[in-house]
Amino acid sequence: MGIEGPFWRALAVFRAASLAYAALLLVRAGGYAVPVVSWAVLGVMTAWTAAAAVLYPARPGLRGWVLLAADLAVTSACLLATPYAQTDAAAQSGAMPLTATWVAGPVLAWGVARGRRAGAVAAALVSVADLWLRGRGGLDLASLPVNGAVLMFMAGVVVGHVAQLAREAEERVQRAVELEAAGRERERLARGIHDSVLQVLALVQRRGAEIGGEAAGLGRLAGEQEAALRALVQAPSDQEAAARTRAGTAGGRHPGGGGGRDRDRGGGGGRDRGAAGADGGAPEPPVDLRELLRPYGGARVTLSVPATPLPLPPGTAGEVRAAVGAALDNVARHCPDGARAWILVEEDDGRVIVTVRDDGPGIPEGRLEEAAAVGRMGVARSIRGRVAELGGTVTITSSGTGTEVEMAVPVPGPAAGRRAR
Amino acid sequence: MNGHEAAGGPVREPVGDRGDVGGVRVMVVDDHPMWRDGVARDLADAGYDVVATTGEGRQALRIAAAVRPDVVVLDLRLPDLAGVEVARGLGASGSPPRVLVLSASAEEDDVLEAVKAGASGYLVKSASREEFLDAVRRTAEGDAVFTPGLAGLVLGEYRRLAHRTPEAPGDGPRLTERETEVLRMVAKGLTYRQIAERLVLSHRTVQNHVQNTLSKLQLHNRVELVRYAIENGLAELD
Repeated sequence: MGIEGPFWRALAVFRAASLAYAALLLVRAGGYAVPVVSWAVLGVMTAWTAAAAVLYPARPGLRGWVLLAADLAVTSACLLATPYAQTDAAAQSGAMPLTATWVAGPVLAWGVARGRRAGAVAAALVSVADLWLRGRGGLDLASLPVNGAVLMFMAGVVVGHVAQLAREAEERVQRAVELEAAGRERERLARGIHDSVLQVLALVQRRGAEIGGEAAGLGRLAGEQEAALRALVQAPSDQEAAARTRAGTAGGRHPGGGGGRDRDRGGGGGRDRGAAGADGGAPEPPVDLRELLRPYGGARVTLSVPATPLPLPPGTAGEVRAAVGAALDNVARHCPDGARAWILVEEDDGRVIVTVRDDGPGIPEGRLEEAAAVGRMGVARSIRGRVAELGGTVTITSSGTGTEVEMAVPVPGPAAGRRAR
Repeated sequence: MNGHEAAGGPVREPVGDRGDVGGVRVMVVDDHPMWRDGVARDLADAGYDVVATTGEGRQALRIAAAVRPDVVVLDLRLPDLAGVEVARGLGASGSPPRVLVLSASAEEDDVLEAVKAGASGYLVKSASREEFLDAVRRTAEGDAVFTPGLAGLVLGEYRRLAHRTPEAPGDGPRLTERETEVLRMVAKGLTYRQIAERLVLSHRTVQNHVQNTLSKLQLHNRVELVRYAIENGLAELD
């Protein structure tokens, strides 16, 4: 039944109320001139009110022109039976016809079922019958009471228009739901295909490495592609988060507001995805730090994260990401080819701890301090600076088994209180 | 409690060094025929007794009940039944095999669930043949096969459990300080040997610590499942 259901229910109520009104008028007028005819017509009206209430909502198949035409015919017949019940004098004095407001029923029905044009046509037909009835006694056209006709016409057009709008909205929602379902199905299929591709790439990588020679190069290429594809497959929510951030900024933009301070603070990380939406005044939805760090994972870098999201304000998450990037850059710059790195992300006692470890030769004693003193080395500035800005701490340890950069950042907001008990 | 028992069933005879793996019965469950055959060949070449290969989860459960493998190499993405369910089904059988999860697209939730359901290790498919064979050997010996990624997941799961019930600290498993220390090092890519050196422990002790973290989690998971079953009228206490 869909969106039309409420319209049909409302129409049934209208018909019943109009019927009661007509009955009231009939009783007050003492049955008009010919009570037998009057009550017989009212009986027909009652029967049709009940029939329409059942037929319209229950049988969409019957709701075609047959039912609509029948509705109009029965109603017009009742209207046109008025002269046999009322005296001409009553009609000419401006009294309501026997059917009273009940005649608007088919007009509204046509509007609901077929839109505003049909509503207008039905209103015209009923009005013609009504006006003919009133003009029959020899009234001239200029003084015909057209008020009722105009009201009926408006009712038909307006109700028809609204019903049409509602139908269109329903269709649009239906289409959106179908599109979404199709998208989900496509995503499901894509996951399967991705998995197959991953399998083949992993196989090529492994066999290539075993065969050696040129095949080893091919295997390495396959391995890189495998890592890239896996990162893509694992991070579908990354795009969703970005879309959410965009929608949040577009919807919650306040004129003026406190956006300026945010912009200044986020300026340092302006190229970061996490801070990209920092020009809105509204508080931004938190982003999952895991998703931000995911792209760093690959053949040489292993990312270890918890299975549950680590929501952080976009600004904080962006800074942490930049600090991790700086640490990894440092690994690439100072370690010989083939050095591997591991990123461990943990949450504990209201802090997020990110550790970047490499298996390179380690940093010689005093080297960091020396470099920082001459203001040259990126590690001290990029990592310590960013983390200190967030109120966190950095611990750098180095030994024969590599270098570890441990960054601990407090989780701001209500999450911190909850996590810290 | 003995870690080996908690990992599933009776303690098996260790199979010893590489090359002495004859008699270890392995089943390979992977829907990708190329992989299935490749893995089976590698295992056979290394001297394992590959008793069955299949690409479907339900079939895997049926076959496993019949051929009783010691080790199941399991892909998490199967056409008919989620790998997690297969791991759960294998764990619920009379003499549960040890399960090594080998998966191409690692979905963290699935890996964690499979491990909680009783799998004793996880390896990505791009691991080299040596890494793979070493992982199967360790799985057969009853050791947990932890990649740094898996260590991160397990660590996160313990933290989640700790935060979930702050009012009832007795509920849910806890890591000892030493276990946390070891698990963090594994997650940061240190080998057992490196960890042993750093903490001045034996290699075996490090292995036991790692094994314990897994056993406690699996035990807790079973307790939770039973509790859930009883609360929902799925089982009765006799």
